[in-house]
Amino acid sequence: MKPTFFLKRRSTINYLRKYWSLYLMLSIPIAYFIVFRYIPMTYIQIAFKRYSIVQSPWEMPWAGNNGFEYFIKAFQNLDFLYALKNTLLLNFLDLLIGFPAPIILALLLNELAFPRFKRFTQSVAYMPHFLSWIIIAGLAKQLLAPTTGLINVALNRLGLGPIPFLNDPTHWVFTYVFLGIWRNVGWNTIIYLAALTNINPELYEASAIDGANRWQNIWYITLPGLRPTIFTLLILSLGNILSSEFDRPFALSNPLVNSVSNVISIFVYRYGIRGLQFSLTTAVGLFQSVVCVIFLVAANALAKKFGERGIW
Amino acid sequence: MIRSKRSKAADYAIALICVLLIIICLLPMLNVLARSLSSTEAIIRNEVLLWPKGFNFSAYRLVLTDSKYTWSLAWTAILTTICTVVSMVMTILCAYPLTYRQLKGRGFFNTMILFTMYFSAGTIPHYLLYKDLGLLNHPLVLIIPNSLSVFYMIIMRTFFYSIPDSLRESAEIDGAGPIKILTSIYLPLSKPVMATLALFYAVGRWNGFSDALMYMNDRKYHPIQLLLYNILNAVTSIEIQTQEGFASMPGLSDTIQAATVMFATVPILIVYPWLQKYFIAGATLGALKD
Amino acid sequence: MQKRRFVVLCLTLLLVVASSVIALAADPGFVDGRFTTTRKITVEIYDRSNPGGSTPEDNFWTDFIKKGMLEKYNVEVTFKPVPRWTEVEVINNLLAAGDAPDICVTYSFPTIQTYANMGGVTDLAPYLEEYKELLPNLWDLLGDQNIYWNRDPETGTIWAIEALLFQNKRINTFVREDWLQKLGLEEPRTMEEFENMLRAFRDNAELLLGEDADKMVPFSISFDVGWRGDHVISAFVPNDMSDRDMWVYGFDDRHLLWPNYKEGVRKLNQWYNEGLVWKDFPLYGAGDRTEDNMIKAGYVGSFIHNWDYPYRDGQEGIHANLKNLVGEDAAFIAVECFPNDAGIYRKYLSAPVDRKVFFPATNKEPLASLLYLDFISDLETRRFLQIGEEGVHHEVLPDGAVQSLPVVGEKIMNSPQNIDYTITINGLDLGDPVLTARSVALNYAGVEARFIERAYEITSNEARYGINVQVGEIKAQEGMDTALAEKRNNLLAQAIVAKPEEFDAVWDRGFNDYLRSGGQAIIDERAQKYDAMYGN
Repeated sequence: MKPTFFLKRRSTINYLRKYWSLYLMLSIPIAYFIVFRYIPMTYIQIAFKRYSIVQSPWEMPWAGNNGFEYFIKAFQNLDFLYALKNTLLLNFLDLLIGFPAPIILALLLNELAFPRFKRFTQSVAYMPHFLSWIIIAGLAKQLLAPTTGLINVALNRLGLGPIPFLNDPTHWVFTYVFLGIWRNVGWNTIIYLAALTNINPELYEASAIDGANRWQNIWYITLPGLRPTIFTLLILSLGNILSSEFDRPFALSNPLVNSVSNVISIFVYRYGIRGLQFSLTTAVGLFQSVVCVIFLVAANALAKKFGERGIW
Repeated sequence: MIRSKRSKAADYAIALICVLLIIICLLPMLNVLARSLSSTEAIIRNEVLLWPKGFNFSAYRLVLTDSKYTWSLAWTAILTTICTVVSMVMTILCAYPLTYRQLKGRGFFNTMILFTMYFSAGTIPHYLLYKDLGLLNHPLVLIIPNSLSVFYMIIMRTFFYSIPDSLRESAEIDGAGPIKILTSIYLPLSKPVMATLALFYAVGRWNGFSDALMYMNDRKYHPIQLLLYNILNAVTSIEIQTQEGFASMPGLSDTIQAATVMFATVPILIVYPWLQKYFIAGATLGALKD
Repeated sequence: MQKRRFVVLCLTLLLVVASSVIALAADPGFVDGRFTTTRKITVEIYDRSNPGGSTPEDNFWTDFIKKGMLEKYNVEVTFKPVPRWTEVEVINNLLAAGDAPDICVTYSFPTIQTYANMGGVTDLAPYLEEYKELLPNLWDLLGDQNIYWNRDPETGTIWAIEALLFQNKRINTFVREDWLQKLGLEEPRTMEEFENMLRAFRDNAELLLGEDADKMVPFSISFDVGWRGDHVISAFVPNDMSDRDMWVYGFDDRHLLWPNYKEGVRKLNQWYNEGLVWKDFPLYGAGDRTEDNMIKAGYVGSFIHNWDYPYRDGQEGIHANLKNLVGEDAAFIAVECFPNDAGIYRKYLSAPVDRKVFFPATNKEPLASLLYLDFISDLETRRFLQIGEEGVHHEVLPDGAVQSLPVVGEKIMNSPQNIDYTITINGLDLGDPVLTARSVALNYAGVEARFIERAYEITSNEARYGINVQVGEIKAQEGMDTALAEKRNNLLAQAIVAKPEEFDAVWDRGFNDYLRSGGQAIIDERAQKYDAMYGN
């Protein structure tokens, strides 16, 4: 008995002696999270309570239906259900088309034979990211408006007829996704390009000796080198499947496409913020968070099956 | 980078795609630039596309001589630098310990941190917290609350994972503690990801204004994007248009709006090209051979 | 002996304490119209962050107000700036933190009602009752009507008082005078004449615009159809619409639910399909300049808008730009051409109410705050705030009318006629109605008086004003404003661009959605409460 006990204690002491600095380092971020994230989180309980602006969350009365009154209210609201469907649709398309795009672009840039040109392209490609959506929406209207938009004017001259990029729901969805990609693809390649620098150049040297061509390089060296990054970002993106940005749909929407442009963030803005229904806002946010976490955990587990490290 | 046998055709095809990409990314900026240098009449007539019409610098003269803008630009630059440094330090302090598989409590910390990425409760609780901490209207409110992004921390940690454990183990055998290992091995080998995340944080701070909007009343601490937001939004609320049916103050002309956009955007655009020197292949693993 | 002295001592002490308590209770510290100790209040002020503007909480005007309040009442006033376009969110923050200003202003009464239901608003009724004699200017300006506008009929609570909408003007129809002349047309006086005029514009595009003929827009409208098509649509509303209908169905501020509204929209749909209306109108949101630029460049023949819209903004405005870019005689003139079923050119104007002033529950100085409102409603004070210093902000013409001058620098007005400071009145009021009317016309630099006078006269001709029906809180309306307004805009825009044969289907679908999403509930509650109060 006694020897094992002392051994355990000694190993604990050794462990702490070795790794105390790690805990010290972690203490600052953890303190940050507790103060700035966890303390405000107590407010999430208002999703289950009747909000009152003059009371603290602990004092507010519980909402009806065992506190689920506002969740029920949201789901009974047809607008919310449409918002849910639109959010999922748009996010899914964003993921489907917008996730591979920066990877492909990174690979392309990697293959570019002219280094100065490559740097120039990289610098230009990330410019759209800096324009706010208000500005982009204005530019998009200049280009894509049905009668005065430049592209449609050109199409008209060619006899191809105007395309309702912005005023027909189906077309609008693709315009929305494409503009999102245009804005973010250059920016999103940055992280892949950084990951590419980590690939051991000896691998390329070896494959050159073996006479591999470009595509084989990409398939056997580059992509596997990017795998961890791709999986990490994919998991995080899937974990955002129900999140809803506000600026893009708000700036691009118009009364003719509301059947597809009303997403959860806009619903929350209209009913929750402008309508002063705080409990409803928080309930919807909580719902989104829970769904996102479910997706995150599932995606993480799936990635682990593929032999990846996952986020946990 | 050594390449295998390559086909010239594919090279040029790729170059062509890049040229198209450049065009569609550059054109909108050119449009904004052109508008900022054009006369108001030309813009009213919708004549400005890629080239300024009625060339004049009056918009820039107005913006550059208005101390409100130049001060805000200087302040935003200072703020961005401070925030980037603070954020990078926080991120490293958080990501590095979590790469140690043997760290006890790792799972708990992981879960605790990831949880915060998804659960948050809106502006009112944050407002109350900052009020209680005395941060309201203090410049620190623009620095501390958003200093650590879980997303970026995960990315940094993923990069740390790719550094072989053998390096760390051999250093430990040599008697190095975790801090020494961090500074002598991990940081030098992580230049690309450090540059990337520094850029992300910097851009995030430069472009962000919603915290200043809610929590910072003192106008001298307003970042430049907030000024831009006020200019662009001056009449966009439909309620305001209805409520205030009276003769409104003229909003800023299109040229000045465009000039302010350029003013607020160009400085941060030049950060990335400057950082590109850190994105050199083989710089990391090449060092491993020694 | 000792015992007696002790008792006397106790009684004296008791007397002293009692009398001082009574004295304190009876004396609010207000003697001879002033406070005996300096009281402090905070007042909300909009921060518009307009370029070239002054600091809203500390400038020439706030100095004037602070000095006045301190001298007159011994009240120290501090202004709390709130950003104009995120006002709701910021006020939410302030209320939650207990930091809200003592005097707040907002345009939406349901918002105040929501705050009141949460216990965040002070009931003004008892204070207005008690201090009425101390507030002569407030009563002079607002009268019983505006002060008691929001009094709940059952409980008597007053959560907010209504500022006075002094210049009650709303909308006008404008037509290009020079185009009428060029085509030899008379000013339209009926719907048919207006339509023929639009067709004439469309068919004579080359004559009117030369090589820009393809840019011709006979009639321009925006996504806010209810506002920008108001005169046309209102012409279809029956003249004998009852007060009850007007109120019960009038909660939407574009009057979507008024009888026969649909037919007015159908008329616009018909015009759209004939190519008489700007094709891209739904795409551009509030504040987008595309339509304005189009009008300024001279491509538009007619539009409906705020009553003085083309004449605003001086050099940046439509009138000046038309002169610059098109020609000296290019101008828009107000016309009256949409008679209703009784042949009257009916204009539906708002009730004489504007912003709502309320005191959050954290207000500890209700008397001082009410005195502030009185001070700001005093004719001398508000005259100064509205027209400023002679020689700097205005000059006085021989007939007494006031002509405004452009001002830059520290004495600039951040909002027209300092409306942000004159929270109890909206619109120029010099005391004398004739002088006021003349001065309003002079407020438009570079615009000949005849345009303004015409617009001024037409916009309130044959007016029917909104009425006040106070039946207490309408629960169904809580939190629904923005959402229903969006639905309304979507419905109207979609209905106009639809093909004529699809109009009914599109309208019914959108309209039913509006009703089902809360519109019907509001109608039902309003109808029930109205009938309960006034019988049927």
